[in-house]
Amino acid sequence: MKSNMNIVAKRKIFFTISLAIVAVTILVSVIFGVKRDIQFTGGAIITYSYQGELDKSAFESEMKAALDGQHLNLQYSQNSATGKQNVVVSLPNSGSISIDKVSSIQSMLDQKFAANELTQESIDSVDPTMGGEFFLKCIAAVVFAAVLMILFIALRFRKIGGWSAGVMAVVALLHDVIMVFAVFTLCRIPLNDNFIAVVLTILGYSINDTIVIYDRIRENTQLHRSMPVAERVNLSINQSFVRTMNTTITTVMAMSVVCIVALIFNVTTILTFAFPMIVGMISGVYSSLCISGPLWVVWQEHKAKKKAEAAKAPKAKKKK
Amino acid sequence: MKKRGKITFFVVFALIVLLAYTAIAGISTRYGDVENIIIKGVDSIRWGIDIRGGVDVTFTPPADVEATDDEMSAAESVIKQRLVSQNITDSEVYTDYQNDRIIVRFPWKEGESDFNPENAIKELGETAELTFREGNSTDGTGAPSGTTATNIILTGSDVKSAKAGQTSGQSGSSAQFVVQLELNDSGKEKFSEATAKLAPSNGIISIWLDDQMISYPNVKDHITDGIATISGNFDAESAKELADKINAGALPFALTADNYNTINPTLGLDAKDAMVLAGGIALLLVCLYMIIVYRLPGAVASIALVGQTAGAIAAISGYFAPFPSFTLTLPGIAGIVLAIGMGVDANVITAERIKEELRSGKSVNAALQSGYKRAFSAIFDGNITVIIVAIILMGAFGPPASMFATLLKPIFQFFPSAITGSIYSFGYTLLVGVIMNFVMGMGASRLMLKSVSKFKCFGSKWLYGGKKDEE
Repeated sequence: MKSNMNIVAKRKIFFTISLAIVAVTILVSVIFGVKRDIQFTGGAIITYSYQGELDKSAFESEMKAALDGQHLNLQYSQNSATGKQNVVVSLPNSGSISIDKVSSIQSMLDQKFAANELTQESIDSVDPTMGGEFFLKCIAAVVFAAVLMILFIALRFRKIGGWSAGVMAVVALLHDVIMVFAVFTLCRIPLNDNFIAVVLTILGYSINDTIVIYDRIRENTQLHRSMPVAERVNLSINQSFVRTMNTTITTVMAMSVVCIVALIFNVTTILTFAFPMIVGMISGVYSSLCISGPLWVVWQEHKAKKKAEAAKAPKAKKKK
Repeated sequence: MKKRGKITFFVVFALIVLLAYTAIAGISTRYGDVENIIIKGVDSIRWGIDIRGGVDVTFTPPADVEATDDEMSAAESVIKQRLVSQNITDSEVYTDYQNDRIIVRFPWKEGESDFNPENAIKELGETAELTFREGNSTDGTGAPSGTTATNIILTGSDVKSAKAGQTSGQSGSSAQFVVQLELNDSGKEKFSEATAKLAPSNGIISIWLDDQMISYPNVKDHITDGIATISGNFDAESAKELADKINAGALPFALTADNYNTINPTLGLDAKDAMVLAGGIALLLVCLYMIIVYRLPGAVASIALVGQTAGAIAAISGYFAPFPSFTLTLPGIAGIVLAIGMGVDANVITAERIKEELRSGKSVNAALQSGYKRAFSAIFDGNITVIIVAIILMGAFGPPASMFATLLKPIFQFFPSAITGSIYSFGYTLLVGVIMNFVMGMGASRLMLKSVSKFKCFGSKWLYGGKKDEE
C-alpha cells in the first residue's frame, strides 16, 4: 500500500473545493441566520413526557395563556427505543423562566391534561446576560487554543520556517472550524457548548495530522536537500498518507458507532456532538493532506521567487 | 537475556488484564453487611446529573446587589447546610467570587419517585432565618421547645456581622480561635437585656439557622455594647464555619436562580446504557481493524487499547489512590470512545514506520528498533496538541477552583464560570485518554512487540507488514 499521488500539483482543485464550501456556508448563514442555543442567548426549554393522545392545539393555547402570550415553539418527538412521547416547549426570546412559573404551569397541566400525565423531564433556563458572557468565554477559549497551536508549531518547526508552517497550519485549522460550523448551520443545529467542544477537539486533532506531515517534511529536508520544495512536500504527504488515513478511519469509526447509537436511542446531546465531530475529522484529514502542505509550497515558492528576483535585481544594476 | 525478553510480553499482558479486571470489577472485602472497598470499580463511578438526573443551578445575588466576598461565602455555607438538611449528601457547590455566583449541582436521590426539583431550588436560595434563643431545649425532632421555642432574643436583621478571629493568648493560655459578633443598634438593647438576665446563672443562648441549632454558648458577662465573643473548642475552620452561618442569616438579600437545569433520571440512564454499548462496539471494531490491517503489531495494539480504556475508567472511578474520582457525563463517555479511536494513532504511526523499515531491507529486530525511535517525535508532538486542547476545555468549562481553571485564570478571569458542567468531563476523559494512549502506545505495546518478536514463530516479516517471502 504505497501511495504515490501528486497532491501538490492538484492543489488548485482542492483550494477551489474548499473555498466553494466556505462560500456556501457563509451564504447560508447570512441568508438564514445562525442559530445559537439558549445557553448563549438566554431563554428556556422545558421537556415534558406524556401518555396517550395529547390534544396539541389545546396544549399550545393553554401553554401560551400560562406564559402570558409569550412566543413559544413546540416540538413533538418519540424515542424510537423506548416509545416514550415527548413535547419540548422552548421560549427562545423571553430570557429565563422563574421557578414559580414552572410550578404554576405544572399545576395547570395536572388539572387540564390529567389524562396525559404530563411530567417534566428536563428544564433548562438561562439568563440572557450570563448566556452572553458564557458565549464570550467560549470564543476566548477557541482563540486562545488557536494561538497556542501557532506558537507550538512555530517552535517545533523552526528549521523549516516555523512561522510559515504555523500560519499555514492555522489556515487549515480555520478551514476545519468552518466545516464544523457548516454542519451546525446547514443542519440547523443551534450553536451550543457541544459546538465549542467539537471545535476545540478538532483544533487539536487536525493539527496532529498536520504535524505528522510537517515532521516528514522536516526529515526529508535533511535527507533530500536538492529536491524542489513541491516534490519534497508531495513525498512527505504520500509517506504519511496511509498512517493519516488509518488513524482517521479508526477515529471516525468509533465516532460513527456513537453517532448511530445516539440516533437510535434519541440521545440528542450526543448526536449533535458526534456528527459534527465526524465531519470535522474528515475535514481535518483533508485539510492536512490537501490544504496545509500545498499551501506551504505556494508560500515557499513565492518566497523563493522573490528572493531570486531580489538577487537578480542588483546584478542587473551592475551590468548597466 | 533472550529469555528475559520473552517473558516481558506475558508480564505486560498480565498487568493489563489485571488492570482491566480490577478497574471494572473493583476489589472489595465483605465482612457481614459491611463492604470495604479497596479499589474502586465501575460501580463507584460518579455519574453526572445529565445521566442520573438532578439539578444544576447557578445562584446569584439580585441584579442590583453588589455582594462582598464575605457575603458570598456566607451564602455558600447556608446552601451547604441546607443540602445536608435536605439529606442531599452527594452535592457539588462551587463559588465564583469574581463574578458572584454559586454553582450547585446535586443528583436525583436514589429511590425517590416524587422529588420536586423546583422546591429544592427554591429552598436553597431563600434567605436564611437566623435566630438567637434563650436556652437550648429541644424536642425529639431537634426543633426548639419550651422557652427556647417561645423566647427569641435576636433575629437575622439584628446582626451586623460575625467573623472568625483569635484572642491574644492571655497569661499561660495559648491563643484561641473565636467568633466575634457585632450587633446592629436594633439588637444591642435586646441582647443587653437578655445577657443581663442570663449572665448570673451562666445561662445559654442558642443560635439557630433555619431549624437547626448551630451553636449554644453560655453567657458569661452582661454585654451592653453589642459586641460579643463566642469561644469554645474552635479551630480556624470551625470558627469560620460558624461565622459564615451567622452571616448567612444576616444576609440582606435572597439568592436568585435564573440559571438552572433539571433532568429526570429516566432520560439519562437510557442514554448512559446506549453510550456504554456504543463504547463496547467501537472498541471491538477498532481492534478488528487494527488486527486486519497491521497483523501482529495490530494485535498488540489491541491489547494496549484495552489497557488504555481500562486506565481511563480507572482514572474516573478513583482507582489510583491519590487521584480523586471524577464525575462522568455523557460527553465524558463520548470522550472515552473518541480516545479509543485516537488511541491507536501511536500504534499506527509506529506500525507504518516498521513496515517502511522492513521494506528498506532491515531485519525485524532492527526495524522495530528504528521504527519506534523514528516515530517518537511525531507521536509526541501530536499528543501535546490534544493535551493543550483538553486543558483548555477543562479550564474553560470547569468549576472555578479546579486546577486548570486556576492555571488559566489570567485568560478566563474576565469571564464567569461555565453554566454547564458536562463538557468538563469530556475534557478530562480526553486528557486521560491521550496520556494513557502515550503510556500504552509507546510503553506497553513497545515492550510487548519487542518481546514477542523474540519468539521464533513470530519472526516472519509478513507478520509485521513485510512481504511473505522475505523470511
